[in-house]
Amino acid sequence: MNGHLTERQLIDYEFDLASESQAKEARAHLEQCDACRAKLDELKRKFASLDLLRDEISASEALISKAVENAASPKPARIIAVRRWPWLGTAAAVVVVGFMFLLVSNLGPGQRGEEVASDQRPFPDDAPTAVDLGYGTAKQLAPSSQRPQTVRSRLMMKPAAEPMTVAATDPHSIEIAEKPPFAPASAIELVVLPRRQDVQLTIYNAADLTLVREKRNLTLKRGWNWLQFMWANTLIDPTSLSLEPMEHKDQVDIQQLVFPPRLRELGRWLIRSEVSGQVPFELTYFTSGLSWRAFYMGTLSQDEKTMHLEGYVRVVNDSGEDYEDAQTRLIVGKVHLLDEIRALAQRQYAYGSPVPEGLGMKDGSAAGLAGADRRNETYEYGEGEAIGKRFARRLGSLERKEIRKEGLSEYFLYTIDGTETIPNQWGKRLLSSETKEIPVSSLYKHDEQRWGAQAVRYLSFANDEEHKLGETPLPDGMVRIYGWADAEGHLSYVGGTGVKYIPVGEEVELNLGPARLVEVEPTLMDFRTANYVFDANDNIAGWDEVRTWKIEIANARTVPVEIEATRAFETPYWTLPFDDKSVAYEKYDATHARFKLNVPARTKRRFEYTVTTYYGVRAETPVKRQSKRTN
Amino acid sequence: MGSNDESLVAAHVQGDRAAFRELVQRYGDSLLGYLFRMTGNRDQAEDLFQETFKRVHEKAHTFRGRNFKSWLFTIATRAAIDTARRRKRRVVLSPVAGGDCDEERGPQLDTLTASEDAVDPAETLVQDERKAQVRQAVETLPAKQRATLVLAYYQQLSYREVADVMGCSLGTVKTQMSRALATLARKLPDSVGVTK
Repeated sequence: MNGHLTERQLIDYEFDLASESQAKEARAHLEQCDACRAKLDELKRKFASLDLLRDEISASEALISKAVENAASPKPARIIAVRRWPWLGTAAAVVVVGFMFLLVSNLGPGQRGEEVASDQRPFPDDAPTAVDLGYGTAKQLAPSSQRPQTVRSRLMMKPAAEPMTVAATDPHSIEIAEKPPFAPASAIELVVLPRRQDVQLTIYNAADLTLVREKRNLTLKRGWNWLQFMWANTLIDPTSLSLEPMEHKDQVDIQQLVFPPRLRELGRWLIRSEVSGQVPFELTYFTSGLSWRAFYMGTLSQDEKTMHLEGYVRVVNDSGEDYEDAQTRLIVGKVHLLDEIRALAQRQYAYGSPVPEGLGMKDGSAAGLAGADRRNETYEYGEGEAIGKRFARRLGSLERKEIRKEGLSEYFLYTIDGTETIPNQWGKRLLSSETKEIPVSSLYKHDEQRWGAQAVRYLSFANDEEHKLGETPLPDGMVRIYGWADAEGHLSYVGGTGVKYIPVGEEVELNLGPARLVEVEPTLMDFRTANYVFDANDNIAGWDEVRTWKIEIANARTVPVEIEATRAFETPYWTLPFDDKSVAYEKYDATHARFKLNVPARTKRRFEYTVTTYYGVRAETPVKRQSKRTN
Repeated sequence: MGSNDESLVAAHVQGDRAAFRELVQRYGDSLLGYLFRMTGNRDQAEDLFQETFKRVHEKAHTFRGRNFKSWLFTIATRAAIDTARRRKRRVVLSPVAGGDCDEERGPQLDTLTASEDAVDPAETLVQDERKAQVRQAVETLPAKQRATLVLAYYQQLSYREVADVMGCSLGTVKTQMSRALATLARKLPDSVGVTK
């Protein structure tokens, strides 16, 4: 063998993964090579650390019973058992609580009640045990060995669709603790892993903002419940999270939403429930990464007098989250956002630093709030109630994102029929509207100042009833127009343009780009000056310029076209007598005249006009230069 | 009872509830251990434990002449891999679960209680830290490699049995195992608290 054995060869040899011949070869090499033997020993030492995870894990009788019953039941509830997972960080609290339990167990029932009721300390007696949460004083007095079984059997017995029941047989025998449970991270429990029942997306395209409303059935127990929401790898704005019960509103109270320090991208709601069982909740939040845009495909009829217009919406999901069977609503209109949702979603902590600005730490000592670990405790039970209240107010004030709205009239809502599943990183094109035979008119415009020598084709219609539209405004988007290329119905691309939001009743004029088969050619036929005016020194003080133009229009198309030729003059002092009745003439503005005429298919037409422009004192004396027909 | 697995399955199919319970008891510990090492989360492991036995209960009539243990672990592996895949990129609305916080919060109270009996509590803490590193290294493996490693190393199944569980060839199992170990060789701590 050349050289030494690679790490992979050593691994394969050690774990019997090599073929017989490879193993033999490796064995022979190892017998001779000290370096490879040392490397193998090092690997063995390293892999020996895997044995650290060889803890004996045993399934409890309760779990086995649950598995047997669950397997036999037709519809199991998704249950996460109540567990006790105190943390090293709260070890001190546990010691205190153990001490307090010993103390309480030596007191009479009356004394115990008083003790609980009057307890105002940061660490109440019933705090750190998960099982105690929500079961109140009566259950806390039960032997600890019975409590988990009580909880499990209750949870297991309740199928997901079971109607609401009150947990206790005698409601007065079980009281919900006055105070919310302490330290969410150490007091862990709850019952359900709910799926979305219903989801609605409202996508505000202008601001990279989507409002998500989800309905989920949460299974609550009577008492205090913690519910955890994680948004890792998504663009959800944690400051916008909101949870509301849709039933039993007077019996279910969402107390607070906390963002535990060091645990990134998760929040926990504390819910106080008077009822036990399923409660439908609505969860709302903002996310970014969902966007939509509209585009349109218009197909002109053969005579180009009508158009078949199909409107599409393309929804793109880059939010990091899949949305199944979502009712999708699209908002047209501008939204003013105070912050970028994407930036909020990607912050390490939902509200910035775990130690809120302006709270504690006056002396710069870390003991002020005891760092991030104490954040949640602080505002509930913290050393200073004032600090807690300030923090709670701060949380409350930030909980909902403020979006200033100019009023509903500024918006228009498009709802996509039915529901759509939009997985993450997918785009989906949906037909939003289809209208046949919309009357349209084509107009070829020629204006050298704007478009140079080429004529430009415009297609116009209105978003109104007369044009079989007008039910909703049309969101801005790209319009592509196709025409008939031949008698067999093949289509050809005519032109396309982006359009702005089109309100109901407004006319739409689509610029389809330069016309290839319609040409407008102006030619200067005659130029002369006249009517010179001299001042006292015989200098020229004013004069007229007279030009005669010929405009020739060639229509090489197979359909008649309408042409609008705009002519510009350098001065507002001009007159243009025009008598040709076959051409419509109008003064467009102070310096422009406009001619409109129809040109039959495959023909040429021309017209002429003479314009006189006035300079110097001739421009200042309009009375003197009146002609037969003036501007 | 003393019956073999196959006869217990047959009895269960005939409606003997005790037989099913016996199966759950017989494989409960090893299956829970496997699922815990696969998920790194006790609650999730217990969830999958129940789901696995539910599937066994439902599909028992399709069980024919296979090794029950392999069949059981096949079901559990599929459930665990499916769950891992689903959880990859998802907004998870779940009840607060202790396991979610394990890594963040350091050693748990159970560990701390055990340390009271230890000679040197500091050493216990260091050991816990090391254990966390090993768990983290195993959890970073792709689901199939992790399943192969856990089945072969911790559940001590032969590679052929692993292939049977995973529904793939022996060669594939060896490749997965080799890759998993190569990855771990880079990620496992050299000495206390040190990783490359």
